Amino acid sequence: MSDEPAPRPFPQRDRDTTPFWEAQDKHELRFQRCTGCGSVRYRVTPLCPNCHSFDHEWIASSGRGHVYSYTVVRRQTHPAFPVPYTVALAEMEEGPRVAAQVRGHDGGEIALGAPVHVEWEDHPKQSLPVFVLD
Amino acid sequence: MTIRNQAAIVGIGRTEFSKNSGRSTLRMALETILDALDDAGLRPSDVDGVVKMSANRDIDEVELARALGLQNLRFFAEVPYGGGSGCGTVGVAASAVATEMAEVVVTFRSLNERSERRFGESSVGGGVGGWNAYYAPHGLVTPAQWMAIFGRRYLHEFDHDTDAFGMVTVLARKHAATNPHAMMYQRPITIEDHRKAEWIAEPLRLLDCCLDTDGACAAIVTSAARAKTCKSTPAYVTAATQGTGSRPEVMTAWQRDSIAHLEETDSAARELYRIAGMNPEDIDVLLVYDHFTPMVLMTIESYGFAARGQAPSRYREGYFELDGRVPLNPHGGHLGEGYIHGFNHIHEAVSQLRGNAANQVAGSPKTALVSSAGGVPTSSLILSLEAR
Ligand SMILES: [Zn+2]
Repeated sequence: MSDEPAPRPFPQRDRDTTPFWEAQDKHELRFQRCTGCGSVRYRVTPLCPNCHSFDHEWIASSGRGHVYSYTVVRRQTHPAFPVPYTVALAEMEEGPRVAAQVRGHDGGEIALGAPVHVEWEDHPKQSLPVFVLD
Repeated sequence: MTIRNQAAIVGIGRTEFSKNSGRSTLRMALETILDALDDAGLRPSDVDGVVKMSANRDIDEVELARALGLQNLRFFAEVPYGGGSGCGTVGVAASAVATEMAEVVVTFRSLNERSERRFGESSVGGGVGGWNAYYAPHGLVTPAQWMAIFGRRYLHEFDHDTDAFGMVTVLARKHAATNPHAMMYQRPITIEDHRKAEWIAEPLRLLDCCLDTDGACAAIVTSAARAKTCKSTPAYVTAATQGTGSRPEVMTAWQRDSIAHLEETDSAARELYRIAGMNPEDIDVLLVYDHFTPMVLMTIESYGFAARGQAPSRYREGYFELDGRVPLNPHGGHLGEGYIHGFNHIHEAVSQLRGNAANQVAGSPKTALVSSAGGVPTSSLILSLEAR
């Protein structure tokens, strides 16, 4: 047995979500924007829930947002995730709330509303965003 | 025609609740189904329908039919979304008997949650599809972690500390302490115990999380007309509903304007009271799905027993005690009696209406409201002694 952590779960891509995950491998967080009504939607879905257009474009997030909520995980439940670690739900400038780990967070209090920006971590099957507290 | 009082729960059954049942989920389901049929004065041959929670995919309808020796099942259906679906199975069963697609419908939940697979443990990596593809790769892999995200917002928006969560468990354990069927029988806790409990996923401690339990419960649903011929006292299904709210997700509906209340449950509450023609003031005993303490507070608020953010004040007032305005989870719930995925709450509601619960509340309750899980697509019931 090695001391390497077990492999992380990785997103299974499908025909709707492949552009989203492929962009993350190129270190781009992107969202769908409806070309009918202009609304941004997340998570990925084929139809605009606002105007029911299938037509959309992908827009790159600025990568900036603020902490909307978070949890510090203290009980290990998965071999790929040694504790403690912190996962934040950040509200991005474009509107969607995205979950990702907070890099280097030691478990102290984070003020809700604290600004964060996205950086990237490469994993064997999928690159993923992490949040860094500004 | 509405569903109001068209059907009734006429039989209930349950196993012991333990850390290791020593037998299969199928066997426990069958034991409780036989007990529930006997309770109603019905025979296995009377059963012509089954509605189960999708969480019980380990038990095939045909395996039940085969074991029970049924000649035919003419109605079978499955209700999705884990702990959100328990009351939904009774609602679907009620709609089946109301439309004469079945006459005697079995509903149940059977799980070896403690000795076999535990929900708090996630499976080892690999590809994750669907909604969880966005969360599991970041280390959000268990219900406690997902619910912690909601719980943090509740504390923040209403300026509470985690004692607000602790009070929920203290009351549940107080009730369980005098319920001999409870896993936590004679084991009350104090708010100090809660403050000292280990963190699981902040702001949730171990004592904010439901027990892991092996056990099963069943409930038999039949038409109001046939209920009158059963040997038990019927608990009429006065209202039944399900709810997703807007922008629903399985356990991560985090894109809404506020996640410090539960839109699924808000929607279910409105619909439930509309169908019943009732208000919160008409409810005598309240059974709230208590997988995690923040969801209990939010569910109480959704069903109108406290204003938003004010459920902790109600706890302090004694509103939910056995002699309070609306006793809450007199059996001790998932935090104290055992975690049968909401089905022990249905069992308790019927027992309270019959007047033979372990912690029977004062004043002969005539109505019980049962809510399935919050934070997921949900369902709920109002059960009544009288079909008005
Ligand atoms: Zn649109």
